[in-house]
Amino acid sequence: MTVGPLTAPVETAPPPGRRIKSSRGWWTATAIVLLPALIPPISLAWQVLTTGTGTTLPLDRLLELFASTVGLTVAVTTTALSIGTTTAWLTNRTDIPARKVWMILAALPLVIPSYMAALTIIGATGPNGLISSWLRFEIPTPYGFVGAWLALSVFLAPMAHLIVSPALRLIDPATEEAATGLGAGQRRVFFTVTIPQLRPALVSAGLMVGLYTVSDFGAVSLLRLDTFTRAIFTLYAGQIDRRPAAALSLVLMGLALAILFIERRTRSRAGYAMTRTSRARRPIEMLGWPKGLSLAFLAAFAFISLVVPVSVLLFWLIRGLSAGVELGAFWDETLRSMGVSLAAAGLAALVSLPVAMVTTWKRNRFSGAVESATWAIYALPHITVGIAVVAFALTWARPLYQSVLLLVLTYVAMFMAQSVSTVQDSLRRVSPVLEDASRGLGRGPLQTVARVTVPLASPGLAAGAALVFLSVMKELPATLLLRPNGFETLAIRIWSTTGEGFYTMASVASLALIAVSIVPLLALTYRDLSD
Amino acid sequence: MKRLVSVAVVAALVVAACGSSGSDNRIIVYSGRSEELIQPLIDRFTDSTGVEVEVRYAGSTDLAATLLQEGDTTEADVFFAQDPASLGSVADLLADLPRSILDSVDPKFADRNGRWVGTSGRVRTFVYNTETTIDLPQTIDDVTDPRWFGEVGIAPTNGSFLAFVSAMILERGEDATLRWLESLEVNDPQEFPSNSPIVAAADSGVVEGGLVNHYYLLRLRAEGEGTHSENWFIPAGDVGTLVMPAGVGILSGTDRPQEARQFVEFLLSETAQTYFATETFEFPLIPGVPPAEGLPALEELNTPDIDLSELADVLGDAARLVSEAGLV
Repeated sequence: MTVGPLTAPVETAPPPGRRIKSSRGWWTATAIVLLPALIPPISLAWQVLTTGTGTTLPLDRLLELFASTVGLTVAVTTTALSIGTTTAWLTNRTDIPARKVWMILAALPLVIPSYMAALTIIGATGPNGLISSWLRFEIPTPYGFVGAWLALSVFLAPMAHLIVSPALRLIDPATEEAATGLGAGQRRVFFTVTIPQLRPALVSAGLMVGLYTVSDFGAVSLLRLDTFTRAIFTLYAGQIDRRPAAALSLVLMGLALAILFIERRTRSRAGYAMTRTSRARRPIEMLGWPKGLSLAFLAAFAFISLVVPVSVLLFWLIRGLSAGVELGAFWDETLRSMGVSLAAAGLAALVSLPVAMVTTWKRNRFSGAVESATWAIYALPHITVGIAVVAFALTWARPLYQSVLLLVLTYVAMFMAQSVSTVQDSLRRVSPVLEDASRGLGRGPLQTVARVTVPLASPGLAAGAALVFLSVMKELPATLLLRPNGFETLAIRIWSTTGEGFYTMASVASLALIAVSIVPLLALTYRDLSD
Repeated sequence: MKRLVSVAVVAALVVAACGSSGSDNRIIVYSGRSEELIQPLIDRFTDSTGVEVEVRYAGSTDLAATLLQEGDTTEADVFFAQDPASLGSVADLLADLPRSILDSVDPKFADRNGRWVGTSGRVRTFVYNTETTIDLPQTIDDVTDPRWFGEVGIAPTNGSFLAFVSAMILERGEDATLRWLESLEVNDPQEFPSNSPIVAAADSGVVEGGLVNHYYLLRLRAEGEGTHSENWFIPAGDVGTLVMPAGVGILSGTDRPQEARQFVEFLLSETAQTYFATETFEFPLIPGVPPAEGLPALEELNTPDIDLSELADVLGDAARLVSEAGLV
């Protein structure tokens, strides 16, 4: 077998002039899909500009919120990335026992919404908590910064795991083997060869985790950490006047844009494209204490992220059943949750294709703005997006108000950053040579996309759709505001049952949500398992 | 790609099929009271009158804000809320209720201008852990005593707490209320997002006591817990034992005034009032229906004299004071 210089780092940003002619149509497509996505921020800014801010918070409180939000975001992002990269590496690169089981277990916690995670952490700890009573030793409930940091890190780590895993597999073994052949140790290879090649995936995962943290309300409210998003929810909930919350949301969006600006400034432009399929790679042998330690790590992660929440839910269920609580089924809610999640996932994947294509192929100020816009919307608290869309629909699109269509479009706007970034990750690995070859052989641009680009981007499209599906399944605040009357979803029932203390019903709805969410997740990991 | 598109299309069809079908004999109710508590009762209403009800469940304040945003274009016929403040803030959108409905409850549980009527009583209470707590607060001011340092659970962002603070503003004025909130904050209260987790925390001993509505403990007992805690109705007759009725009003733009009125009358019927007493553990507001077992009669409680119609006017001030005192 001949081994040529097949995977040298290449600039994926093409030389000036290339591709521009063929991509004009894609720019138009991008503009068309992006316009509806811009409705929430524009409507929000419009509201604030025309109606004023009302009585907002004093400056020192704003600074406090700023500090805790930034602190939490940095802490959660680094922790979740470390955990997720570790689980991805252990389950993709080593010969650890039951590797494929761990691979699924490491991804599964993503199906658990942050409010449910926080609720079960509270149910498991404290004087009469479930785990405390198992151990006959009181584990204090981790309220405040520590609690929110732990909960979000553990339950967002699977996001990093899912994004880093395919990237790890797609790295050409030749580069690492070459480094090993030149005498570098395993650790050196990992940090100097593997990690740099993972960089684009790590950046996507970092943004996805970090900006999710910025927008999260469930964990921070239950575990009592004051962040921007919690303050915004408080303002919405506590008063009829919605102006102060809208103004604060604009500040938060500014914060997200600042994070994106910093990320963009520090990002390396180099990418790694492959021009052939990767050869099989020999897994790294794990022996002795590293093996024991790795297994302990994976087991501890699965215990905290899966065993604890599911046990607490089952405990509520059994406690309620023995107290004679009548159970309700949630068939309609399950169908509706699945329906809107599937619709949003499919649509998000569809619209993210042109956006990802233009932003990967042509890097300029406009494509940068397009990318930042999708991320900025992703970082907005969902209640803000919901209220902005309500205001928009009532004024400009009354027939769409409280319609499923508008609900699904809003989901797509909120979460398309996830699918755009996974598709980008896929496209970055596609050598431009393949598309050029297709064009050179006389295929038109659309045919090239259908026959070459889409198949090559399909892992990213599938991963993006699955992530959007999971996000929509869990979404609550925007759903509450935008759904048609009587259109209850599983997330809504979990909210209303836990709010009123119907824990038995809440556990049924939560278990249904987990069961349904597992399907796309298994579909996603199935691809990984078949390697 | 094709697969993606077809999946999206199928999903859209499923969603459309799940949507509600149209009917002529139907009213739309915006309910700030949750589905678990209220839907069984609404089903009974439909069974006995044949009037179908389409319900939008969400938070009371949320729905009030939504109604204000929708204004005259709202499709809602009835607003059923957890508290008088939400009802009061949309009073301009509500129609005058007939005298016969208003007269069925004590006038202090209905709007002064006849726009809404209370349907069930929810009482503020001090829930406490029976194993650790000995001396109970005799007034709402005792709750801020250093004796309770770090041991009181509150839900400062929750509607019920804000309504309680609003009532205190009406009772004592803004300055005194701010002072009370500040002394509460100095005492390091434990903050929770809502009432349920406070009751659970008091029951498990995480806190010794908490300021909540009375029925959450009974709810917890129905789930098979709640044996280590008890409700304490602060006896001084101050806002610590405020009665906050859930209530209902009819939107003035309704095109089904007859059915909407039927719905309100049903909520004040003996069937519904008994349901509130036995299923949601609230206090019935019409004479002759007793509260749930283990609860005192409403008249036995020493409750403050507050004009609930004014609650909405000070709700915004309450949120501001809670924030000024550093509680949120």
